[in-house]
Amino acid sequence: MSATTENQPLPRLATREVLLRKRRGWFFGMTGDQVVKYLFQGNAAVSIIVLGLITFTIFKDAVGFIPMNHANLAVYRLAGLEYVDLYREQVTAHSTMSRYLADIRARQLDILMQQEGLTAAAAMARLAAFDDFANKFADTINEQETLLGTMSDLVTAVKERQKVAEDLMVARQNLLGGMQGAAPDRAAQLQKDAAAIQIEVIDFKAEIQPVLALRPELVAANASQIAAMREIAAQAPKFADAELSRRMGKFQGFVQGYFKEVEVIAGRMAAWDQAKPIGWLEAFNAFAFGRKWVTASFWQDWYGIIPLLSGSLLIAFLALLIALPLGVAAAIYVNQVARPAEQKFIKPYIEFISAIPSVVLGFFGIAMLGETLRRVSQIPALDWVPGFPMAERLNATTAACLLALMAIPTIFSLAEDAINNVPRSFKEASFALGATRLQTIIHITVPAALSGIMAAILLGFGRVVGETMVVLLCAGNRIQTPDLASGLGVIFQPVHTMTGIIAQEMGEVVRNSIHYRALFMVGVVLFLISLLINWLAQKIVRRYRISIG
Amino acid sequence: MVTLAPMPEPTVTPSAAPRPVAVAPAAPANPAARAVIEIDDVDFNYGAARALHDITLNIPERQVTAFIGPSGCGKSTLLRCLNRMNDLIDGARVSAGQIRIDGVDINDPRVDIIELRKRVGMVFQKSNPFPKSIYENITYGLRIQGQKSKARLDEVVERSLRGAALWDEVKDRLHESALGMSGGQQQRLCIARAIAVEPEIILMDEPCSALDPIATAKVEELIHELKKQFTIVIVTHNMQQAARCSDRTAFFYLGKLVEYADTRTIFMNPANPQTEAYVSGRFG
Repeated sequence: MSATTENQPLPRLATREVLLRKRRGWFFGMTGDQVVKYLFQGNAAVSIIVLGLITFTIFKDAVGFIPMNHANLAVYRLAGLEYVDLYREQVTAHSTMSRYLADIRARQLDILMQQEGLTAAAAMARLAAFDDFANKFADTINEQETLLGTMSDLVTAVKERQKVAEDLMVARQNLLGGMQGAAPDRAAQLQKDAAAIQIEVIDFKAEIQPVLALRPELVAANASQIAAMREIAAQAPKFADAELSRRMGKFQGFVQGYFKEVEVIAGRMAAWDQAKPIGWLEAFNAFAFGRKWVTASFWQDWYGIIPLLSGSLLIAFLALLIALPLGVAAAIYVNQVARPAEQKFIKPYIEFISAIPSVVLGFFGIAMLGETLRRVSQIPALDWVPGFPMAERLNATTAACLLALMAIPTIFSLAEDAINNVPRSFKEASFALGATRLQTIIHITVPAALSGIMAAILLGFGRVVGETMVVLLCAGNRIQTPDLASGLGVIFQPVHTMTGIIAQEMGEVVRNSIHYRALFMVGVVLFLISLLINWLAQKIVRRYRISIG
Repeated sequence: MVTLAPMPEPTVTPSAAPRPVAVAPAAPANPAARAVIEIDDVDFNYGAARALHDITLNIPERQVTAFIGPSGCGKSTLLRCLNRMNDLIDGARVSAGQIRIDGVDINDPRVDIIELRKRVGMVFQKSNPFPKSIYENITYGLRIQGQKSKARLDEVVERSLRGAALWDEVKDRLHESALGMSGGQQQRLCIARAIAVEPEIILMDEPCSALDPIATAKVEELIHELKKQFTIVIVTHNMQQAARCSDRTAFFYLGKLVEYADTRTIFMNPANPQTEAYVSGRFG
């Protein structure tokens, strides 16, 4: 029986039957291929949807910032804070002059003690006349300071009441919001509570009348101040020392400038219009071009991104400046020059750097690098370096050094890939024409890989801009726009960054408050920067593929 | 019996000029020509694997010498030994014997490899112009030697392009990218680039294998012109090409030199049965 079946040929279907036979699947009627296809399709769809939702949420929360900042600025104007800040400028200008005088005094003391060899007490005695002058000068602002204090108290009170009214409004909305879906008796209770909340409607125009009414007093105070200052300035002490007398001349110039400024400020205060509406663009510009980031202030909150953006960019460019030569040179060396044994060692080693957690790097920055850099900066022989000695241990350069370390693997790997993709035949042709290895690298290999290297640099930049932990730990976190007046020394100033501020403040802000939304705006700016960088990098790489063919 | 004449008619005949060589060269190669390259008992290794065994042959001056043989027989390896291109490959080395050019052992440590490559130019299998302009491609060899004079460079570009029979085709677009040229033009540009540095010897590694028949004909024509000035060594898979262009032919098999003689002899009357089998197309 079995022998006969073995000998029989297997039944074979006719071709036309096989062709028309429908393949049946084992999984809900789907074949294995289809199951795998739908599985992958589903995964891809989920990732796209999730990413889309995240992007949407971030943008939604961020966009809400604009109307809130609009309201914030409106209160600033309506409550008269803006008006008072105009006057504050005058007081600030005066105290700048007083500080300048203090500086002159310090130099004078230095000269007396160092060059004339006087004891401290004797030197102080010699300075008595100058001190008398400086004190008299400083006193000329007293009246203005008192007025400023009075006006500040008045407008702050108005603003406080407005704030209370806003808070109550939110409370009422919360109560009304709680009504939905609540049991009928509970809903009625909530409605009663909400109705019971008394919200004061503040008549700003009336409220700031007392402040505006002070104007005649301001004018009178200014007139008497200017007269007093003229008199004092005429009695200014003379110096034998050329440098001091040059500075004193400069001070006299400041005094004249101050007189003009007083006039300008008075004009602006007179022209100030409480009723002038705040434009939407103004609310946006206060963010995009604002040079102050001040939160939870008793006076006025400002959400300007410039200090954070400039801090981030300063650090990123510094880091790139360090990482670029190191990463690209290492890539060229490994790909073009190194022996295979060296390659086997260097490549994994550099790529290993990216495995170091950034918080560990940050810790190293605080514990070692910052201190070492400061010690180095205090070496007297290095005084010629701008910004030395460093004032702060943690500053833009400390953070940039560590960030460079993190960008090197990115730049190295991508640049090495780009160089590796240069066809071997270019190199051979160059060698066959009698070029040295260096000439081949400079004239053929690197130019051919240039767009790939550019993309590597851009992505390294993106890596650095987005890095958070290291900058939070090592950048010094002082919210101020880097002061370019100090020249190259700007790189040793402590700065704050966009990533750092989000990490630092997001945990503490009230949900949906203006501060919360401002942080989202910062996040959006970061997002856009990354997007731009990646887009550029892709564009460059695509062009590179075409040009090599 | 191998019959070379009559050759099959080429499918496409360029109208510009008739094919220069019908069969083997009409005049036998000058046997008295000086041997400019002397290869003496050369063994060559890629690491532990021996690629060439005991090769001995002399290449005469201002003639075309063709290396033929099936794939993997070592003909390209030997060619690349002549300007030490194999130095780029790790572990590759001449393990025994000498290669002398103009009497100097080129593997001597005192030999300047840069100077060697300036004197021994090379054209590769796949045309490989740099992703630069035509002008820059040709002047590259001179520029890296420090030649800066614009007039001199212009002159060399024209002379080289004329030498490579490319001048009339590209003289109006010297500053356009070389990658925009046709494959045949690119290969002739590579030849122009090689002759721009004024070598003595030009090595060609299957220069026509990626070209269509018209472009091949042009390059072959060019080879015929170039041998007036240069010593040419050409590796080819195309036996008809070897027969058409070369004065002497060396047949390699499995890393050994089987036979080396006048091209006419190799194709008409080979001494070795393997050679006969190969040139008649029975194996390989």
